Amino acid sequence: MPGNGTNSTGPAVKVEGLVFSYGSIKVLDEISLEIPVGEVFGILGANGAGKTTLIRLLVGLMKPASGGVQVLGEPPSSRRSDRVGYMPQLNALYLELSVLENLSFFARMYGMSDKASRRESVESVLRLVGLWDRRDDPVLRLSGGMRQRVSLAISLVHSPPLLLLDEPTVGLDPELRASFWDHFRDMAEAGTTLIISSHTMDDAAHCDRLAFLREGRFVGDGSPDELRAATGRDDATLEEAFLHFVRGGQS
Amino acid sequence: MSVDRTLAIAERIVRQIVRDRRSLALIIVAPVIVMSLVGFSFADQQQVLDRIAPGLIAVFVLFFTFILTGVSFLRERAQGTLERLLTTPVGRVDILVGYTAGFLIFAMVQSVVVLLFTVWALGIDYQGTIWQIWVVLMLLIVVGVSLGIFISTFARNEFQVVQFIPILMAPQIFLSGAVADVDKMPAPLEAIAYVLPLTYAVDGLKDIMLRGDGLSDLGFELGIMAAFGLALLAAAAVTVRRP
Repeated sequence: MPGNGTNSTGPAVKVEGLVFSYGSIKVLDEISLEIPVGEVFGILGANGAGKTTLIRLLVGLMKPASGGVQVLGEPPSSRRSDRVGYMPQLNALYLELSVLENLSFFARMYGMSDKASRRESVESVLRLVGLWDRRDDPVLRLSGGMRQRVSLAISLVHSPPLLLLDEPTVGLDPELRASFWDHFRDMAEAGTTLIISSHTMDDAAHCDRLAFLREGRFVGDGSPDELRAATGRDDATLEEAFLHFVRGGQS
Repeated sequence: MSVDRTLAIAERIVRQIVRDRRSLALIIVAPVIVMSLVGFSFADQQQVLDRIAPGLIAVFVLFFTFILTGVSFLRERAQGTLERLLTTPVGRVDILVGYTAGFLIFAMVQSVVVLLFTVWALGIDYQGTIWQIWVVLMLLIVVGVSLGIFISTFARNEFQVVQFIPILMAPQIFLSGAVADVDKMPAPLEAIAYVLPLTYAVDGLKDIMLRGDGLSDLGFELGIMAAFGLALLAAAAVTVRRP
């Protein structure tokens, strides 16, 4: 499984003073963060808070207006994108093609030109997400949850040391959500760094560390326990902690 | 450039279109319907049809190729698959060459349908040989494919790409010599005609089909069309990363 190929000493991701605007609208404002290798880091925020934009900047789909982004020791670039797995919010699959064809295609895009090893990797990730038996089905015939699993499998097929997952559990039933988190945990234990955006507190509770994003700014970060403790109440839930921070420290 | 990635992209496009049976059928049926209509409307004017056939063939081949490529590529953008592709190590040249090769296969099928239907079903009288006519059409297809990809980068949805059809196609149809002779147009329109790729395709096809010239006489026209194709592909490579 993933876990190899990270820069051995530095953080997996380092962002300093990141600013990004769509025209005159500032979407991200002076974002800084450092994520060590092997951590499960959650970016929590309401819709429109800037989570997707931040993930897209980390994956290199957009360029910041100012500030620095280092992913696995260097600025995001297509040259080294084989070390990053990206699961977009929109599943972005070829609907007419089968599950296997989708996986094989993206494996080839990641440079896996050897047919035998590609087949092995594809089988391994499809078994992991429980879709090996449905491998010949066109994606068009799969349910929403299954499509999400195909999308996750694509982001894993080249065994990247860093995974950027944009709202990977949205729309999943509780059982499937739990199974996704089991995979994420296994990967983190194998040394993979995971950055996961979400707006649900259920996801937040699974992360090693969280950052609350509000209108393009981080308003709080720390482990789930630290964030709960910051509310000043022993019995505070993560949702209450989130509201505490987004309301500027008022519970 | 990675040959494996380029091939994978071309293969994937072919698979997608072949799986979509209705689209595949329309790729073949649409040119037949259009050319049948042309044939019926000139049923009693065979000589006129013979004279305008080179222009009509060029116009419809460019038209179908542009729509096929523009809409297909735009769909990739709308579904997010192009963006996902751009997060892999695949290069712009791999993407452009792969897409061009994939679409080229279906555009070639359409051009063969248009050409053979016009020549045999409509029974036009022509000089030259079919393969020479087809070489000119192949270059025109490269122009149409690259134009379709390039233009799709400026459209956000299918509706917008359709709006580009009158903007880009109408001047070519009316000024390329397919409808009226370029040298009889007012000077400003004549000047515009010579910056349109279709003008050189129509010129080339007329030279072969009406005058019996060979490809060796068409070096200028073929060269200009190849230059248009390469320039549009280069422009598409620059704009392909537009989010």
